[in-house]
Amino acid sequence: MSATRTTRLPSKAGGGVLGWLGAGLVIAALLALPFAGNSYLLTFGFSVLIAYILGQSWDWVAGEMGYVNLGHYIFYGFGAYAFSIALVSGWSMPVSLVFALAVTGLLALLLAVPLFRLHGDYFAFATLALLPLMEVLAYNLTPITKGADGIVLPVAQVLTPAYLLALAVCVIAFIATLQINQLRFGYALKSIRNDEQVAETVGVRIAPVKRLVLVISALFGAAAGALQAWQMSYIDPATVFGLNVSLVPIAMVLFAGSGLRFGPLVGVLLLASMQQWLLVNIQGYQATLYGLTILLIGRFMPGGFLRAKWVKKVPGLAALSREHHEYAGEAEGVSAQPDVLPLPRLRADCAKPLIELQGVRMQFGGNVAVNDVSLKINEGEIVGLIGPNGSGKTTLFNCISGVYTPSAGKVLFAGQDLAAFGRDGIARLGVGRTYQIPRPFGDLTVQENIAIPLMFGAQPMSPRDAMREARAFVDYAELSSRLTDRADALSVQEKKALEFARALATRPRLLLVDEVASGLTPVEVKRFVEHIRHMRDRYGITVIWVEHIFSALEQVVDRVIALEQGTLIADGPLAEVVKDERVLSTYLGASARSRQGVLPC
Amino acid sequence: MKNCVTRILATAGLALLMSGPATAKQNSCSDPILLGTTISETGPFSTLADRWRKLTEVFAEEINKTGGVMVKSCGKKLPLKFVIYDDQSVPATALQLFEKMATVDNVDFFVGPDWSSLGGPVPPLADKHKIPMVMANVATPAVYERGLKYIWGTPFPVVPNWSARYFDMITKVSPQPQSIYFITHDNPVMKGISATWSKKAEAQGLKVLGNETFSPEMKDFTALIAKVRAAKADVIYIASYDNASVPLVQQMRQLRVRAMDVHHTMLTGALFRQVGKDIEGMTGELSWYPGVKGDYSDLVETVMKRSDVTMFDYIWTLGRLTSYLTMVQAIEKAGVVDRERVKEALFKGTFKSPAGDVTFDEKGFPNTGAFTVQMQNGKVNVVWPPEVATGKLVWPSPTWQQ
Amino acid sequence: MEVLLQVLIGGVLLGGLYALVAFGLSLIYGVARILNFAHGTLLAVSGVLASLAFTAWQLHPLLIATLLGPMMFVFAYGYYHLLLRPLAKRSHFESTVGTVLVTVGTLMILSDLTAKAAGATQRNIPLRMPVIEYGDIIISTTQLLILAGIVALTVIMHLLLKHSWFGRAVRAVTQDAVGAQICGVQSTRIKAMTFAFGSATVAIAAVLYVLSFPVDPYMGFSLTVKAFTIIVVGGVGNLPGALLAGVFLGVAEGLTGLYWKPEWAPALSVVAMLVILVAYPKGVGVKT
Repeated sequence: MSATRTTRLPSKAGGGVLGWLGAGLVIAALLALPFAGNSYLLTFGFSVLIAYILGQSWDWVAGEMGYVNLGHYIFYGFGAYAFSIALVSGWSMPVSLVFALAVTGLLALLLAVPLFRLHGDYFAFATLALLPLMEVLAYNLTPITKGADGIVLPVAQVLTPAYLLALAVCVIAFIATLQINQLRFGYALKSIRNDEQVAETVGVRIAPVKRLVLVISALFGAAAGALQAWQMSYIDPATVFGLNVSLVPIAMVLFAGSGLRFGPLVGVLLLASMQQWLLVNIQGYQATLYGLTILLIGRFMPGGFLRAKWVKKVPGLAALSREHHEYAGEAEGVSAQPDVLPLPRLRADCAKPLIELQGVRMQFGGNVAVNDVSLKINEGEIVGLIGPNGSGKTTLFNCISGVYTPSAGKVLFAGQDLAAFGRDGIARLGVGRTYQIPRPFGDLTVQENIAIPLMFGAQPMSPRDAMREARAFVDYAELSSRLTDRADALSVQEKKALEFARALATRPRLLLVDEVASGLTPVEVKRFVEHIRHMRDRYGITVIWVEHIFSALEQVVDRVIALEQGTLIADGPLAEVVKDERVLSTYLGASARSRQGVLPC
Repeated sequence: MKNCVTRILATAGLALLMSGPATAKQNSCSDPILLGTTISETGPFSTLADRWRKLTEVFAEEINKTGGVMVKSCGKKLPLKFVIYDDQSVPATALQLFEKMATVDNVDFFVGPDWSSLGGPVPPLADKHKIPMVMANVATPAVYERGLKYIWGTPFPVVPNWSARYFDMITKVSPQPQSIYFITHDNPVMKGISATWSKKAEAQGLKVLGNETFSPEMKDFTALIAKVRAAKADVIYIASYDNASVPLVQQMRQLRVRAMDVHHTMLTGALFRQVGKDIEGMTGELSWYPGVKGDYSDLVETVMKRSDVTMFDYIWTLGRLTSYLTMVQAIEKAGVVDRERVKEALFKGTFKSPAGDVTFDEKGFPNTGAFTVQMQNGKVNVVWPPEVATGKLVWPSPTWQQ
Repeated sequence: MEVLLQVLIGGVLLGGLYALVAFGLSLIYGVARILNFAHGTLLAVSGVLASLAFTAWQLHPLLIATLLGPMMFVFAYGYYHLLLRPLAKRSHFESTVGTVLVTVGTLMILSDLTAKAAGATQRNIPLRMPVIEYGDIIISTTQLLILAGIVALTVIMHLLLKHSWFGRAVRAVTQDAVGAQICGVQSTRIKAMTFAFGSATVAIAAVLYVLSFPVDPYMGFSLTVKAFTIIVVGGVGNLPGALLAGVFLGVAEGLTGLYWKPEWAPALSVVAMLVILVAYPKGVGVKT
């Protein structure tokens, strides 16, 4: 249903030197502001800076990682209170500021534990509800916060130093945004935004990443709160936790475009200026006009107006609307040899079991999806896994890759009990998988999709190197023409090819392939079978292949395992298994036995 | 990229253009006197400041009908003009707007703002620009304790005087109350009132049986009222904003609370409109009421009538109007539109208002007081002190007995 | 002992009111998956209108409710078609963001327009209803009516959803809008009707609300937050759950006031929600 966008990324803009020069000029102008003698503009400028700090720090968690933290303002308020309490107790301003940052960072760390158990809308609700909670705490913990009286800070005319400090924090925030997107950290965020579970199964450690981004976001929020408290010299619970102001920075970022490099900046500048203009020039109905603007953008340009189609056509604006896709098209130093992947050529020791399931059971409430399955697969084997729909094949894959933790039994991989490993650990051990319905990282490019497993694998690579190395996989999957296209713009077949290539990029020793061949023409099936064989023959990868198309399996598997309603009913060479009575009756019903036939291929 | 650079240069140019040194045009005899203020026209505080823009504009019109403010050094009256912005109940916004008025609009003096949320951050600005600021409804004493030299305030009444007349009154009634129970709205002014007056009550020999605080959003007072009923105090003292106490009063009636008197620190028309007959018999404070004659009472009555505001409904109005009256009189006393001279006049002078004289201490804190009133048969009557009473006190309070 | 009983009764009745506010949101979010930030503001605006109708034209509250409900239904239906339906076609990210922006913008506009038209002052319907006395216990008739009303409404909706074709269609749309369409259900129409119906419920709730408590144009958002916490605690889409959650919260707040301090009561619903979410990250209860 969604509009597919074949987004070609802009070629590396020649903005390099001019961009930095422009930025330098802007910063110089901003630095000069306190000395221009207009304290109105300075006060307004200060509030814009604060809004930017809040908006940008919010966007790391929301735009980059996809978690909409509606309660971001609590970090602002908490920082403001911590700072004020410290200052009033007699500590110097710098010490109070550091104190505020430290304490708020700690709060974020504590909150991360319960909050990140939630996802999507529930995360949004929970964070939203934190605001009134903090307000009540501020009202009632009177010995610490002075309750409704608020905290009165000593009067000091600190507008200029506060402004300069805020400017410094803004610059740091912007640079942080650039840096985040150039490091692996940024790719981890973006992979979480698209599909957390898949991110884990390609090796991304998501829990520390989530904690870290929340803490960083909190630190900047706290800085904004502390600086504003310092400048206002008075805070009370309603001012810093009020619901009437807490959504404003968020609306500003969403207005221009969350997740864009210049989104928060443009959004804050435009909406703050608009609000100020309305306040000063229009009498009455400013809130209505402001609300109407936000409403119209939401209705017609919900990705933010910088993502609207017409923006790409306006020269100046197009530069502002760039998404975070670094290292696009990186390709230096990649071998041009077809069919050669930068994968290690494993020596398969055919005697040793690579993966062993001992009495694995997976139960959901009363439903037993996998029923005491035991099997052994040696290195270098290609094993087919068959069974009717609902027989537990994908569940079995999920148990092996750690998506589910088995209710009973053990999964041993190269002798190690996988129970001790998380999903990302299992991926790094060498278990790679595809999904029945392809799950690419939709808003990332084909190249980035493949680079991410390379970045987070057992031998991690830097983003630049990973993007280069990804070329080889992309070429192998015959997606070279789609290198810089967004993954969600691909056709289903292309997505399947991407899925397969991405699984390979995890440098697996064991590859779990889940029904990749359905929908392919016989020629494509044959090609795919060759790929599988190539994987094993050249790179020593062990493969378990779930498939319904027996003609495909027939060409390449060493043996077949059959499941029925979670129970293993057959395990042996293909020819035997397809004659097995239980397998026949599973697929064709009891009447098949009387026919003494062979499964149609 | 060329556009990028042009954009940046334009922004820088604009910034420089908009900033110029602010010159105060003081001591002028030809320009109108410019008073700058913000009003909370939108946002949570706007419920307290209904129609105040109209009120302010009408005030200026009425003053200007006779020519304006008398400025001796010019030998004539100068018209009064207000610069009014909406602070949206947000302190940061108020700060920006006051900065604008100081540096771009070049106002002569400031009046307002209201509320402690704004009365905290805004005053240092007055000191910075050395512009006298007579705040209106800012009653939190802490705001005046910061060593600022350019601020005064006209909240009506101030916490130390709030129930002075009431507590005087109850020493002279029969039967004399022996005990008192405080119910306090979680708000700095109200908490200040309870703190001050519970001490005074004890000093007077009343036993303080309890003090329960409720949050502004409280809807169900059953538990609180249960505690109050159990205490069986002679006087129940509600220190609360009118609006916040609507469910409290309604539920007190429903749950058959009994007392010799139920006193409410903000017995207003707004409360009356919302609780109806439940308000009958309650005593309260009112700084002034049309009908009680005083200085400028005609002006104030006219202004309120023309802007469709009633004092009983919006009792903060007197604070607002008095800040305007005080500023006007200070300019007249100074004799010249000069900030330093007006500042001196504000500290030294005695200012007339319909509710009595107002003087300020060295912190800019005023000495305003209030009359004790009682709701009798749907009308509000001043019952204490007897000299200005418009009705006789009914004690014990009717309808709170059986 | 009587005090405890009185507090419990008060809590249950208050809880009924909470449930009434949350009811519409539970439907709207459960079926149409719309995070309507303006939900509480709809109540505030309807409440102001109801109060105006009562004081200016002396209309009986029942009449006001019968007028406001359908008016709000029509308004919300049009609102959905014009502003929210087109967003559903976009990507998940855009439709979520778009809905947030549209509803936040709406809440700003509604608050401002209402304050301009009717004044920002707080208002209610000052109708004193008789109370029921049972020994020392006093029960407010208004709130009893509210409780009875919300229970009846919940039961009816629950049965409707479980046993009627319409209800099955609604549940189908909740689980898979596209699949439901393939089966002949007009998903868009169902979502629009649910949104309109949920909003109409809020308008009627507003009339009951202002009989007990005052409203002003700016109080909406905090009510919305409270409604969200209730539907989460009760389980999204679970109407009886929302009722129970509302009652539970009302009682808990009352007990907090009795045995501890009243000023902590508002924090309770939030803490309850957070605790529930931590224990059941996917939410509590079974979808209807």
